[in-house]
Amino acid sequence: MLGYLLFSGVTTGALYALVALGIVVVFKATAIVNFAHGELFMIGGFLAYTLHVMLGLPYVPSLALAVACTFLVGMATDRIAFRPLMKSNMVALVLATVGFSFVLKGIGRSIWGGRGDYLPFPPLVGFDPIILPGDIVIVPQQLVVLIGALAVMVVFAAFFRLTRIGRMMQATADNPKAATLVGIRTDRIYMMTFAVGGAVAAAAAALMAPLTLLYPDIGFSLFIKGFAAAVLGGLASLPGAVIGGIGVGVIEALAGGYIHTSFLDVSAFVVIMAVLVLKPTGLLGGARLRRV
Amino acid sequence: MLSRRNVFLAGVLVMALLPSFANPYALFIGTMLSTYVILALGLNLLVGYAGQLAFANAAMYGIGAYTCGLLQVKLGVSYWLALPAGALVAMAIGSVMAFPALRLSGLYLALATLAFAQFTQWVFLNWESVTFGAGGFKVPEVSFAWAGIASSTGVFYLALILAALLYVVAGNVVRSPLGRAFVAIRDGEVAAESLGVDLLRYKAIAFAMSGFYAGIAGGLYCAAINFVAPEGYDLFQMVLHKAMVVVGGIGSVAGSVVGATLLVALLELLREFKSTQEIAFGALLLAFVIFMPDGVVSLLKKRLKGWDEPLRRIGDEPAVAAPLAEPAEEAARP
Amino acid sequence: MTATRLGFALLLGVAVSAPAIAQAPGVTKDTIKIGSFGPLTGPSYLYGKLVMNGIDVVFDEVNAAGGVHGRKLVLVREDDKCNAEGGIAAVKKLIHQEQVFLIHGGGCSNAAIAARDEVEKAKTPWVVFAAVADSVSAPVAPNIYTTALYASLESVAQLQFALDKGAKKIAIVSMRDAWGRQRYEPMVAAVKAKGITLVADEELTPDANDATPQALKLKAAGADAVLMVLYPKPAAVFLRDAWKLGYKPILVGQTAISDPAAFEEQVAVPGATVNFSTISMVKYVPDDPAVEKWRKLVEAKFPGDRLSTFNLFGVGSAKVVVEALKKAGPELTQARFLKALGELENFDAEMFGAPITCKTPDHRCNKAPAWLKKDPGGPTKVLGVTKVAM
Repeated sequence: MLGYLLFSGVTTGALYALVALGIVVVFKATAIVNFAHGELFMIGGFLAYTLHVMLGLPYVPSLALAVACTFLVGMATDRIAFRPLMKSNMVALVLATVGFSFVLKGIGRSIWGGRGDYLPFPPLVGFDPIILPGDIVIVPQQLVVLIGALAVMVVFAAFFRLTRIGRMMQATADNPKAATLVGIRTDRIYMMTFAVGGAVAAAAAALMAPLTLLYPDIGFSLFIKGFAAAVLGGLASLPGAVIGGIGVGVIEALAGGYIHTSFLDVSAFVVIMAVLVLKPTGLLGGARLRRV
Repeated sequence: MLSRRNVFLAGVLVMALLPSFANPYALFIGTMLSTYVILALGLNLLVGYAGQLAFANAAMYGIGAYTCGLLQVKLGVSYWLALPAGALVAMAIGSVMAFPALRLSGLYLALATLAFAQFTQWVFLNWESVTFGAGGFKVPEVSFAWAGIASSTGVFYLALILAALLYVVAGNVVRSPLGRAFVAIRDGEVAAESLGVDLLRYKAIAFAMSGFYAGIAGGLYCAAINFVAPEGYDLFQMVLHKAMVVVGGIGSVAGSVVGATLLVALLELLREFKSTQEIAFGALLLAFVIFMPDGVVSLLKKRLKGWDEPLRRIGDEPAVAAPLAEPAEEAARP
Repeated sequence: MTATRLGFALLLGVAVSAPAIAQAPGVTKDTIKIGSFGPLTGPSYLYGKLVMNGIDVVFDEVNAAGGVHGRKLVLVREDDKCNAEGGIAAVKKLIHQEQVFLIHGGGCSNAAIAARDEVEKAKTPWVVFAAVADSVSAPVAPNIYTTALYASLESVAQLQFALDKGAKKIAIVSMRDAWGRQRYEPMVAAVKAKGITLVADEELTPDANDATPQALKLKAAGADAVLMVLYPKPAAVFLRDAWKLGYKPILVGQTAISDPAAFEEQVAVPGATVNFSTISMVKYVPDDPAVEKWRKLVEAKFPGDRLSTFNLFGVGSAKVVVEALKKAGPELTQARFLKALGELENFDAEMFGAPITCKTPDHRCNKAPAWLKKDPGGPTKVLGVTKVAM
């Protein structure tokens, strides 16, 4: 039983990790959480559905096109919800991204909502289960998601550390004024960040949609779990996002298996509250700095 | 002429006369308006004045409503006792959140309070032996026979009176040393501490006050719809409360009233959009927040006389600094 | 009309009530105003918006033929956001401000239950079209009828089906939100009434992406039939995870999963739905050629939509309402409408499992759950319509 639960926790956790990665990427460069991230995920997924299932394009071009379009939607998020409010208070910013998320969700519901309740999306690989040692069975797409999450993490870690743009993003997040002083076009950086966040969301959606199905309200529930996972791992830490995601998944599975299935939904939040009280910056977060 | 005092007095007058000519639906909206004003006032004290980015207001609202309803239904307590009891329970639970607030700020506090709100929802849903679970429960109408008026009219006036009272209280708090302590915490915790402001005590008071306000609102809500169910206190409610505060004016008592009124009017207007309500709501929220991040009240303060408020520097430090430094603006700031 | 609404909104709800026409509000020489409430936004919009789309299409057809006794039918929609406050506000608005003749609506149970008192008080006729909670239609009210199946009926039918298939160890997997609870409680009561002990009783949330703990527990308990009180998504996740664990019990669904073909796609594991049967409120699935006409009408009026069972709920229910309006005669009053509705017997509304009879003491017009099953790769079959002894 424990083996099964751990494994299912890890595979569900990979879903959360993918969402959390998108949140962390944006946070690392802009120091805010994009509350519309879940809806970017939803739009990306529906776009992939339209291209691949409705229009019949092959898998890879559909994925690429969906990612490209959501990249643009991400840019739109920056220009509409973020840029005008950079100087304002945090609540206004949060509300702006929330408002944008409602717009996206409403658009999603209008365009795709009448096609059915939960739209299926074909998996990358067939659904025939794989039997692993120890009698544990998984569906190949879950492996795809797990590998995908790790791949995204590695790619972004390398990106932030090794490329010029990546380091410019880190500099901007660390101290925007100083970044401007050394000649970094911070407005471009912000736009790129949101765009990349959108692209990650779309890729995640295409990978996850065969497992989670597509419906207009999918964005929010995944976002909340992803946000919780990101905070658990440390909002500015990419490996933290993965660890946090898997952590949330495992906690849920264990609580659901050993305590009672009604605890599944809430156990993650109880743990988050505990972690935040004990170590506010998350498991992999740095020491707590107090701005004076 | 169009000063705050005159506008608000006129508003109260119109509301007071409403039952004599409005249909039951309009009366219901009016009751909800008073309830939302109370919610916005409480939230603004916590978020706008004390600067705590808390996301648990809707949960406090729910705790107030559930306590008020359960006391009536399970223990046969009269509404007139259940209403303040609900508010006190919400106040007590709210003040407990001051503890995490000591260690957390900004987004981390937001998440902690959000987690608490989700937990509260879960309790409403799953503690079936006490809360009746997902189906909710009916609450008997509050009798106003002693005053010779119908229940819905009575609740309407009760809500109006409480809203007016709590508005005055909020105004007084803001003008008092308590209000100044809140603002000191908002603008710089470390500086405030160094000036001798006891962070725990004042944060607890801020959370307690907003909890109390939300609890009263919950009790009124319970009487207005005579039904308590878990769905009314979810994240959308929370977003609505925040929207009222931001659209009206964060860090402004008058702003809470203006914001609540505007949002209620907006929601009614949006009904016409039927299925595209979400898009319209999101777009309007975005528009307000982008073009008036300091709220409608900031516009009123510029154009009309008589809208000044003490402690009028609104808003925290910018969440993210501007890409280009603007030295001229820095110098001009008071 | 939007300008009028704007004026209302800005003046803080200062609305002068028009003098009410005592017996026939919403009726003019050439129109009948029918109000509808249900979720138009939010995750449950399927039970509101899509059902109303079905109604629209029927009304269009009736209006094109000249209306009912020369009066065209006008549908006014209100969003109840699937919660109690929304339901009460929507109903108050329809009755007191829009002054509709009758209400044809109610998609979410909590909203409908909360709205009930208001509708009862106002005595406006109300035909429920999708909300399944028992307490929407019970205790009986003179002005409330329902064409939807109801929770206790379905739950008993599910149990009956499993027992008829020879199951000895029964388990339940349910959602415990308002919708789920409405079905779960009568189901547990029915199980107890038959002297059966459940071998497992697990819970799943509507947006669960993993049901391994639940499937493990059920498998460990050895349940040979699982009664599912779930929406399609958690049900699909459950089926997938059960299949993964090699667990293949009899799976019994209900009207939330009324389209076995769509469900098979959602599960996406070949062969996993081989033991799955479900109840539908209507006896057709969307890709049945018998409903081709409605497919064309719905997809023409609402471009981008695909015909769904929820549209069909609306079509069937609207036909019942139109029939009662016709029988009420040209001198239309609410009392006459209620009388005509209450005398409706064996009316074929085309969609439902059996002809509609509203002439019953409990005002529940549809008691015919249709069982559907789809062999993987084959067509969907109607197994039969259960007659449940209630």
